Amino acid sequence: MELQRIDLPQGTVDLLILRTLSAGPQHGWAISERVQQVSSDVLRIQQGSLYPALHRLERRGLIKARWGASDNNRRAKYYELTRAGQKQLEVETDSWLKLTAAVAQILENV
Amino acid sequence: MLNDLLYRMRALFRRNVVETELNEEIRFHFDREVEKYKKQGMTDEEARRSARLAFGGDEQVKEDCREARGTGLIDTGVQDLRYAQRQLWSNPSFAVVIILTMALSIGANSAIFSVISSVLIKSLPYPEPEKIVRVFLTSNIYPKFPLNPFDFRDYRTHSKSFDSLAAFSRGDMQLSGGSTEPVRLHGFRITSGFFRVLGLHPQLGREFDVKVETPGNGLQVILSDRVWRSQFGAAPDIVGRKITLNAQPFTVVGVMPAGTEHPGNEYRSLAYGEDVDLWWPFTFEGDPTRRGAHYIEGIGRLKDGVTAEQAQSELSAIMTQIARDLGQGKSDWQVMVIPLYREVVGSSQRMLLVLLGAVGIVLLIACANAANLLLARAATRQREIAVRLALGASRSRLVRQLLTESLLIALAGGALGLGMAAGGVKALVSLLPADFPRAHEIHVSAPVFAFTFLVSAATGILFGLIPAIQASRIDPRQGLHEGGRTSTGTGRLSRLRNALVVSEVSLACVLLIGAGLMLRSLLNLIHLDPGFREEHVLTASVSLPGAEYKTEAVVGRFYDTLTTNLASIPGVEAAGAGSDLPWTGYDDNTSLNIEGKQAPPHDEFHARYHVATPDYFRALGIPLLRGRFFTAGDKPGTQRVVIINHAMAQKYWPGEDVVGKRVTWDDHPKETDWFRIVGVVGDVKDKPSSADTEPAFWWADLQQPFTSTDMSLVVRSTADPQTLAEAVRNEVRRLDPALAVADVAWMDEIVYGSVATPRFAFVLVGMFAGLAILLAAIGTYGVISYSVSQRTPEFGLRMALGAQRLDVIRLVLAQAAGLVLTGTVLGLLLALTLARVLKNLIYEVSPADPLTFGAVGLMVIAIAVLACYIPARKATKADPMIALRAE
Amino acid sequence: MADERLELPQGTLDLLILKALALESLHGWALSERLQQVSREALQVQQGSLYPALHRLERRGWIKANWAISENNRSAKYYKLTRQGEKQLEVEAAAWRKLAAAVGHVLDMA
Repeated sequence: MELQRIDLPQGTVDLLILRTLSAGPQHGWAISERVQQVSSDVLRIQQGSLYPALHRLERRGLIKARWGASDNNRRAKYYELTRAGQKQLEVETDSWLKLTAAVAQILENV
Repeated sequence: MLNDLLYRMRALFRRNVVETELNEEIRFHFDREVEKYKKQGMTDEEARRSARLAFGGDEQVKEDCREARGTGLIDTGVQDLRYAQRQLWSNPSFAVVIILTMALSIGANSAIFSVISSVLIKSLPYPEPEKIVRVFLTSNIYPKFPLNPFDFRDYRTHSKSFDSLAAFSRGDMQLSGGSTEPVRLHGFRITSGFFRVLGLHPQLGREFDVKVETPGNGLQVILSDRVWRSQFGAAPDIVGRKITLNAQPFTVVGVMPAGTEHPGNEYRSLAYGEDVDLWWPFTFEGDPTRRGAHYIEGIGRLKDGVTAEQAQSELSAIMTQIARDLGQGKSDWQVMVIPLYREVVGSSQRMLLVLLGAVGIVLLIACANAANLLLARAATRQREIAVRLALGASRSRLVRQLLTESLLIALAGGALGLGMAAGGVKALVSLLPADFPRAHEIHVSAPVFAFTFLVSAATGILFGLIPAIQASRIDPRQGLHEGGRTSTGTGRLSRLRNALVVSEVSLACVLLIGAGLMLRSLLNLIHLDPGFREEHVLTASVSLPGAEYKTEAVVGRFYDTLTTNLASIPGVEAAGAGSDLPWTGYDDNTSLNIEGKQAPPHDEFHARYHVATPDYFRALGIPLLRGRFFTAGDKPGTQRVVIINHAMAQKYWPGEDVVGKRVTWDDHPKETDWFRIVGVVGDVKDKPSSADTEPAFWWADLQQPFTSTDMSLVVRSTADPQTLAEAVRNEVRRLDPALAVADVAWMDEIVYGSVATPRFAFVLVGMFAGLAILLAAIGTYGVISYSVSQRTPEFGLRMALGAQRLDVIRLVLAQAAGLVLTGTVLGLLLALTLARVLKNLIYEVSPADPLTFGAVGLMVIAIAVLACYIPARKATKADPMIALRAE
Repeated sequence: MADERLELPQGTLDLLILKALALESLHGWALSERLQQVSREALQVQQGSLYPALHRLERRGWIKANWAISENNRSAKYYKLTRQGEKQLEVEAAAWRKLAAAVGHVLDMA
C-alpha cells in the first residue's frame, strides 16, 4: 500500500500543475483530482503542497488566478496558464525528460 | 535505529573529530575540482573560481551536513546560547542586577541547604546508623532522664533486643607527666561494648571488655587519634604503656582512629563530633540495691529487625521486673528508646526546615522580581521580536531562545551563588550555637552542587517561562506598526506584573512577620530573669586527681583554701566553688527521704543535687529567700545542713516554713544521717528557654556525702577580666602547680551562648526578611516607574490642564497603594496561617502577636510607598509638550 | 537561470548516489564526477549538496565511510554501500520507475 503512492518532489508538483493547467483553467481541487485520475491514483498532490505551489507559481507569474463559478455554482478560484507559464512548461517538460532519461541510464547501466 | 543513534552520538560527542573530517572531505573535493579545471587549461585563479561556483556555498553545505547528521537541535541550542549571551552583554546593568539578585538568593538557599544536607540528610558517621538508639528514662515531669548504673546493668543482662548495649558519662581527666604542662582532657567513662554499639574499632589495641567494669580494674584508657599524636608523638608502642591521668597510672589499651565521632550527650557539658580526647572505663561501684542516683546515659545497637518501639517495651518490662524484685511499687517512670538520629538532630530539625522555608520564600521573591524585569524588557524588545516573527522565526523557537536567556541568567546566578554559599557557610557555622549537632560536618558538598544546579535551572524556567510566552504572543504586524511602544496585551501584561508585585510584597510580609516574632521571642528570653546575675562573673573548672586528693577532708581543705585566697584578690567581691554552673547541662538527680513525710505510692522524693562552698551563691548572685547561706562553720562534725531552692520548698513543703526541716539519703537513717535545711534560695531557670525550675538542693562542700574532686569556680569581681583570669590561674598554681585550670569563661558568655539558637534563627530569618523586603521594594519600584513612564503623556496633559504636582503624586501613589495594600493584607493573612510552624521556636509570644503584625504591616507599607515616591516625583516633571510629541 | 533546470528531487539524488556506490566505492569528488558524466546536462547537481546527502545516508546506515588513500596519494573519505543500502536501492529504484511512469502519463495526456 505504501508503495502505491509516491511523495512528489517539489519540482515535480510544479510540473504536474503546469501540465494540467495547459489543458484549460481549473480550480485547485480539480487539478489534484485530474492528476490523480490520469496517473491511475499513483500521484496525489497533497493539499499541503498544492496550495503553496499554486501561490508560488502565481507569484512567479507562471499562472494567474481569477474568481469564477464552479460546476456546483460555488465561487471558486480558477487558475490558468500565462504565456510565461506556457514557456516554463516546455522547459520543465524538457528537463524532466532529460532527467528521467539520465536516471534511467544510470539505473539500467548495470 | 541503532546505527542512527550511534551516528548521532558520534556527531555529538566527537564533534571536533567529525567537524575536522568534514572540513577535510570538502577541501579534498575542492582541490580535485581545481585540479580538473587546471587540466582543462585554466589558470589557477580561474580554476578556483569555477570550483567554488560548482560547489556552492561552503558554509551552507557544512550547515546542511550538520543538519543531516542530526545534531541540529544542539546546534540551535548553541546559537540560542550565543544569542542570549549577546543580549545580556548588550545591557550589562540589567544583567548585573538580575544575576546578582539571583546569586544572592540562590547562594542563600545553597548555604542553608549545605547545613541541611550535612546535618539532616547525610547519615551519621557510623555503620548502619539507623540501628543505633539512645536509652533514657522518662516521666511526666522529666521528659528525658539519665539511667541508674545498676538498672542499666540489669537491662543489659536481660534484654534480647540489642546487639550490644552500653552506657557512658562525662568524665574529664587531667593528663600530667607528658611533654607539656598538665592538660585537662575531655573524656567519657564508658562501659564495655560502647564502640561496638557505634560500630567503630580501635586503630591500635582493643576496646574495653566487661572485666574493666569491676571496681579496681578501671585504670585503663583508650586515646583519641588527636591526643595520641599531639601528646605522645604517635608512638607506635603506645598500647601497653602507662600514662598519668588524674595522678593515677592508666594503661593505654587502644587508640581510636581519626574521625571517631562522639554520638552526643544530653547531660553535663554537651559534646559533639571529635571533641572527645579519651575514654576510660565506667566501673559499677556502691550498693546495687540503692538505685536513686541517675547519671549515666544509655546507647545501644538494635539487632536486625528489632524496632526502637520493641526494644522500649522490652526494657520497660525489665524495669517493672526489677522494681518488683527490689520490693518497690509501680512508678510512673518509663524507659524511652529513641533513634540516635532523632536524638542528634531532632531539636534542630524544625529550625532548619523553617530556615529553608524562609530562604525558599526569598528565592520566590527573587524569581518574581526577575520575571518582572524580563517582562519589562520584553516590552521594549517587542519590535525586535516582531521583526523576527515576521521573518519566519517560529514561536516555539522564540520561546526557547528567551528561555535560554533566563536559564543563562539563573545558571550564572547559581554559579556566583555557589561561591557566595561557600563563604556564607563558613559565616553560618561560626554563628551556630555551640551545641548545634554535627556543626563540624557542615560544608559545601557534592549534593549542594547538585542542589544549586537544580534550583538554578528550575528558577530559570520559573521566572523565564511567563515572560517568554508573553513575548512570543506578539502579533508581528502590530508590533511592527506601533514601534513597540504600546500594544495589545498591555492590559494583560500589566495585570501580570501587578500580580507579581502583590505576591512579592505578601511573601516579604510573611518573612518579616517571622523575623518579628523571633525578635520578640529573643527579647523575651534576654529579658527573662535567669535567677542569677551574670555580669562580672568569671568561671573556671578545676579537677583534683583522686589519687592525691584521696579524702573528703583533703579535697574540702583545697577548695576552702582556694576560695579564701581567690576572695582576697583585689577587686573580688565574692568567690565560691560549686559542683556545676547554671545552663551547662548539669542534671544529676537523687531520691531522698523527708522527715515526717511519706512519698506518694509508686514514687520517690526526687531532687537535683549540687555542692557549694559558702560564697558560691553570693558570687553567682543567687538571692537568699529564707534562712542563711552556708558558713565556714558548716564542716564535718557539726550539724549537717543543706540549702534548697524555692521550687523544692514549694513542691515538698507547700505552705510550710521549710527552714529547720530535715531530709536524708539513707533508707534507715541514724540521727547523724539527717541533714537540716538552713536556707532557701531563689530559683535558677533550668534552661534559658523555659520558665521551669526543678527542685534542687545543695550540700555544703565540707559536709557532702561523697567527694567532689571536680568543681567549678565562680568569682564575682570588678577587676580587669584579663588580669583576673591570670590571677585565678596563679592562685590555683600556688596551691598545686600540677593542676590545670580549664573552661575559663565569663558567666555572661555562657548566658549569651545559651540563647545562641534563637539568636541564630532570628539573625538568619531577619537577614532573609531584609533581603525579601529589599527585593519587593525593587519590584514595586520597577512596576510603578514603568507604569509612570507609560502614563507620562497623561500626566503631562493633566499638568497642562492645571493639575498640581501633589495631585499627580497622589495619583501615582494611589495606584501603588492598591498593590501594596493588597500585598500586605494577603501577606498578613498568609503569615497568620504559617506562623504556627514557629510555635516551638518562639518563647512567650503568640504566633498571632498583634504588635508584630501591626508593626510589620506599617513597615511594609512605608517601605513600598517610599519605593514609589521616586517614580511619582518623576511623573510631576512630565513636560506636556514633550509628552504629547512622544505619542 | 537555475529555474530552467529541473531541481533534482531529494529522493532522486539519494537514489543516484546509492546506485553509483553499488558499482564501486568512491570518494565524494569522484562520485560527483561520475554523476555529472552519466547524466551530462540533465542533472545540475550542485556539488555541495552531495555531502549533506552522503551524511544523511550514512546516518541511516545505507552507506559506510572509511578513510583511504586516493589515486593522487591523499587521504580521502570513501563511501560504500552496506547490505541495508542494497535493499534500499531496490526499493527506491522501483519507486522511481513508478513515479517516472506516472508523471509520464500526465505529461502525455491529451
